[in-house]
Amino acid sequence: MELNLKGLGKKDMEFFEEIPKERKKIIHSSSSSAILTKFNSNELASILHPKVQHVSVIDIIEENDSTKTFVLAPNAEKNTKKLAYFRPGQYISVEVEIDGCIYHRPYTISCSPKNVFDNLYTITIKRKRNGIVSNFFLDEVKVGDHFSISAPMGNFYYEPLRDANNVIALVGGSGITPILSMAEAIKDGILDFKLTILYGARTKKDLLFHKELDELAKKSNLINVEYILSEEQKEGYLSGFITKEMIDKYRENETSFFVCGPINMYEYVNDLLKDYQLPNKYIRHDAFFGRVDISKNEDYELTILTAEKKVTIVCHSKETLLNTMEKNSVLIQSRCQVGNCGFCRSKLKSGMIRTIDGCLRKADEKNKYIHPCISFPESDIVIELPY
Amino acid sequence: MENKFDCIIIGAGNAGLVAALELAKNNKSVLLLEKGKTPGGVSSSFKRGRFEFDTSLHLLELMGTKQQPGELYHLFQKLGIMDTIEFSTLSDSLHVYEIEEDKEYKLPFGIIEFMDKMEEYVPGSYDALKKFFVLAEESKEALIYIEKNRENIDKEYLQKNFPDFLKVSTHSLDKVLDSINLPKKAQEILSTYWVYFGSPAGKLSFVHFAIFVFNFIAHGSELPVINSYEISTNLAEEILNLGGKIKYLSTAKEILFKDRKIAGVMLENGEIYESKHIIANLSPTNVYGSLVPIQMVPKEALKLTNSRVLGARGFSIFLGLNQSAKDLGLTDYSYYILRNLDSNKEYQYRQSIKNDSCVAYVLNNVNPNCSEKGTTILEISSFFTDDVFSKNATEKNYFDLKSIIAANMIDAFERATKISIKPYIEEIEIASPVTYARYTGHPDGVLYGYKATGMDNLLPRLLSLKEENFIKNLRFCGSFDVKLSGSSATYLSGDLTAKLTLEDMMEEGNEEWN
Ligand SMILES: Cc1cc2nc3c(=O)[nH]c(=O)nc-3n(C[C@H](O)[C@H](O)[C@H](O)COP(=O)(O)OP(=O)(O)OC[C@H]3O[C@@H](n4cnc5c(N)ncnc54)[C@H](O)[C@@H]3O)c2cc1C
Ligand code: FES
Repeated sequence: MELNLKGLGKKDMEFFEEIPKERKKIIHSSSSSAILTKFNSNELASILHPKVQHVSVIDIIEENDSTKTFVLAPNAEKNTKKLAYFRPGQYISVEVEIDGCIYHRPYTISCSPKNVFDNLYTITIKRKRNGIVSNFFLDEVKVGDHFSISAPMGNFYYEPLRDANNVIALVGGSGITPILSMAEAIKDGILDFKLTILYGARTKKDLLFHKELDELAKKSNLINVEYILSEEQKEGYLSGFITKEMIDKYRENETSFFVCGPINMYEYVNDLLKDYQLPNKYIRHDAFFGRVDISKNEDYELTILTAEKKVTIVCHSKETLLNTMEKNSVLIQSRCQVGNCGFCRSKLKSGMIRTIDGCLRKADEKNKYIHPCISFPESDIVIELPY
Repeated sequence: MENKFDCIIIGAGNAGLVAALELAKNNKSVLLLEKGKTPGGVSSSFKRGRFEFDTSLHLLELMGTKQQPGELYHLFQKLGIMDTIEFSTLSDSLHVYEIEEDKEYKLPFGIIEFMDKMEEYVPGSYDALKKFFVLAEESKEALIYIEKNRENIDKEYLQKNFPDFLKVSTHSLDKVLDSINLPKKAQEILSTYWVYFGSPAGKLSFVHFAIFVFNFIAHGSELPVINSYEISTNLAEEILNLGGKIKYLSTAKEILFKDRKIAGVMLENGEIYESKHIIANLSPTNVYGSLVPIQMVPKEALKLTNSRVLGARGFSIFLGLNQSAKDLGLTDYSYYILRNLDSNKEYQYRQSIKNDSCVAYVLNNVNPNCSEKGTTILEISSFFTDDVFSKNATEKNYFDLKSIIAANMIDAFERATKISIKPYIEEIEIASPVTYARYTGHPDGVLYGYKATGMDNLLPRLLSLKEENFIKNLRFCGSFDVKLSGSSATYLSGDLTAKLTLEDMMEEGNEEWN
C-alpha cells in the first residue's frame, strides 16, 4: 500500500540517489584546515583531574614527634605548572620509590582549596609502626625532594544536596586532616555549614593542629572545637572518650556526622550513634568502613600474571596482596588502598582470599575479580593484572 | 608478550568490545587497548556507599524476547553472553509532564495500545498514527536491506518494496508528521523521544526517529538485571577466554604507518604494538586530529571531520534514596519532565545553563533488587546543547555549578510529580560534560557522537560508508560512526565494523595471492 503523503514532493528514488552526492558536496565545500582538538570540557577535565601531578617538597613542618606536614608545590621542571583544585576531604595518592620498589599511598589534602591558588597543597603524615612509606617520609624526605602524585580523589566531602547544614565531626588522632581542610574552607567562604569538631586523642601532645583549630574557631562563628583526652586530665579539656552528652550539646534536629579516625574509633562511635537511630545518610566515614579478622599466620605462594610475564613470590596471611606485590617490585596500580577506587582491580585466577564485603561491583564479583589492596591470602594464589 | 596482532582495537567501549570479540571468534589475534581501568566506556558502574549505579544505560531496545528475538538478542547470542546475563522488561513507555501547559500524558507499550491512548488525549490522531507506524516499519525494513546490500543496491527492488520509505527518506520528523496529518499535540507527545537524539523535530531525521520509536513501542525495551557493566565485563571475559589480549590503563598516542600503510599503535608510555588493521572506538576528531600523524591524514578526511558538528552534552544525577520507591510514591520507571513539548522551544531552553528539563528513571521499578530493600536508585538525566556547560564552568565554580544545576533538576522533578525526594538523598553523584570528557576522552565530553542531522544522518552515513574509508585498514566504530549513538546502536556498530575488517583482511589475503 502506498500512502498519500502531502507536501513532500515527488522526490523518491531520484532524491534517494542524490544523498551521497549531496553529502559529498557538503564535505567538499568544508575547510581542510587542521582539525580542532581543544575543547573546553576536555581542558577543564585535565585541569581538575590531571593524569599525574609532579610536585616538590618546599617546606616540612614538625607537628609533633611522630607527625610532619609536607608542603608541596608544582614542579615546573617536570611540566606541572599548577595544582588541581579539590573538594575538602579528598586525597591524593603519592608515588615513592624506596629501595627499588614503587609504592603508592593515599594522603588527605589538609589545607584549604584556596591554597591551590597560591600553588600549594599540604599533606600531614603520621608515623606508622612498621610502615614503609610513612617512615620514609618522616625520616628521609627533605625539602627539595620530588614526587609524582595523583589528581585529587575520593568521595568524602560535604555535599549540600545530601548533608545537613549542621555537621558534627567525630575525630580521632590523625583523622583530623580532612576536617581541618573543611574548616579552613568554611573560614575562606568556600564551604558553608556549621561544623563542630569533637576531637579525641590520648594526650594533649597527640592533638594535631591545636593552634590552627583554635584560631579557626575564633575567626568563624560556624566552627566549634572541643578536645577530649583519654589518657590525660587537663584543665579546659574534656576527658575520657566522646560521649552522647558531648554530642547532644551540638546536635540539632538534622545533623550529619562525619567520622574520621582509626578503625577502633569507628566501631566505638558507631555503637554510640546507634541510640539515635539515624538514617544511614547522616553518618559518613572518611574511608570504607570494614575490618578483616585474620587468625592464620602462614606463608603462601603468590603467582602474578601480566601481559608480559609471570612472577611467583611469597605472600603472608596477614599482609594484603597489594603490599606484598609492592614490596617485591611487582608494579601494580593503586590509589585509595581501602577497596574503594577500583584501581587495583585484578582477576583471581585461583586460590582463596579473605576481604571486606561490599567493595566490589556486582559484575566483578561474579567474574572473580578482587581488590588486592584489601585482600589477604588464605591459600596459594594466582592473580592476573589487567595490563 | 608477542607484540604483533591481526587487529588492534583502540577503546573498550560497547563497540570496541564487540568488534574485538567478533574478530577473536573468527580466530584473529586481537589486542584491545583501553585508557581507563575497566571495560565498557560509558557502559560502566560505580559504587557509592551501599548503592551501585549504572553510568549510562536506561533503555536497551532491539533485544526482543526469546520467542521473538531482536537484532541485539541475536548478536549477544552469537557472542556467547546471552546465557550469562539476565534481562528484565520495562513496563511503561512514556510518562511525560509538560510544565508550561501543566499537562501530563502517559502512554503504554504496544502499537495498538499506544494509538488508542493517544486518540483519547488527541482525538483524530489514530489514523495518522497508524500511517506513522506503517512508515516506520517500512523504513526499518528498508534500512536493513540497505545495510546488507549497501555495495549494490537494487533500485527496482527498493522502489517496489519501499516506495513510501523513499518518499520520506530525506525528510525531517516534523515534515513527515505534517504530511500524514498528525494533529499538532499528538506530534508533540510522540516527539518526546527526541530527547534521546538531541536534535529537535525540525532537524531530526524522520527515518532515524521512526525506527527507534517503532522498535521501542512495538517490541518494548529491556535492561540487564545487574547493570550495563555486567555486559561489558562479560564481553571482556569472552575476549580473554578466546586468547585475545586486553590492556587497561593503556592510552593510544599515535597510529603508526610504514610505507604509508597502517603498521601499529604507540602508547603514551612508548610501547609499540604492530598490526596492519586498526579499529578505533573513538571519534574521527580524535583519530584524525591527534592519533594519525598530520601528513598521513587525507584531505577529504579533514574536510569531512571539519564539516561535522558535535552532538548534545550529557548531564546526569545519580541518587541513592533511603526509602523504597513505593513509600516515596514513585510508581513508574521513567518520568519525562519537559518545560514544553514543542521540541524546537525545548531545544532553545537547553541552550541555557538554567535548563531544568530532565528525564528521571526509577531503576527499582524495573529491577526491584538493584538496591537494598527500603532504598531506591533514581537517576536524573538531561543534556545541554552545544558547549553551554563548559562555557560556564571554571576550575573554581565547577563543583558548585554542578550542585546548582542538579538542585534545579531535582526541584523540577519534585514540582512536576509532587513527590518529595530531597530529604531522602543518602548518596549523590553528579556527572557533567567534564566528567564524560575525563572518562571517555571524547571531544567536549559528547556522548551522542556527531549531530545526526541533514546530510550527516544515518542514511547518508550508511550510503557513504565505502567512500569514506579514507585510510585503508583503519576502521571506526561506536557512537561517532555510521550507526550513531545509543547502547544498542553501538553494540551493533562493533559487529558491523568487525565484518568490514574481516573483509579488509580477506581482500588483503587475495592481494597477496595474486
Ligand atoms: C548518562 C548517559 C545515559 C545514556 N543512556 C542510554 C540509554 O538509556 N540507552 C542507550 O541505548 N544509550 C544510552 N547512552 C549512550 C550510549 O551508552 C553510548 O552512546 C554508547 O555506549 C557509546 O559507546 P561507544 O562504543 O562509542 O564507546 P564509549 O563508551 O564512548 O567508549 C570509548 C572508549 O575508548 C576509550 N579511549 C578513548 N581514547 C582512548 C585512547 N587514546 N586509547 C585507548 N582508549 C581510549 C575510552 O576510555 C572509552 O572506554 C547513555 C549515555 C550516558 C553517559
Ligand atoms: S587501591 Fe583503591 S580499590 Fe584497591
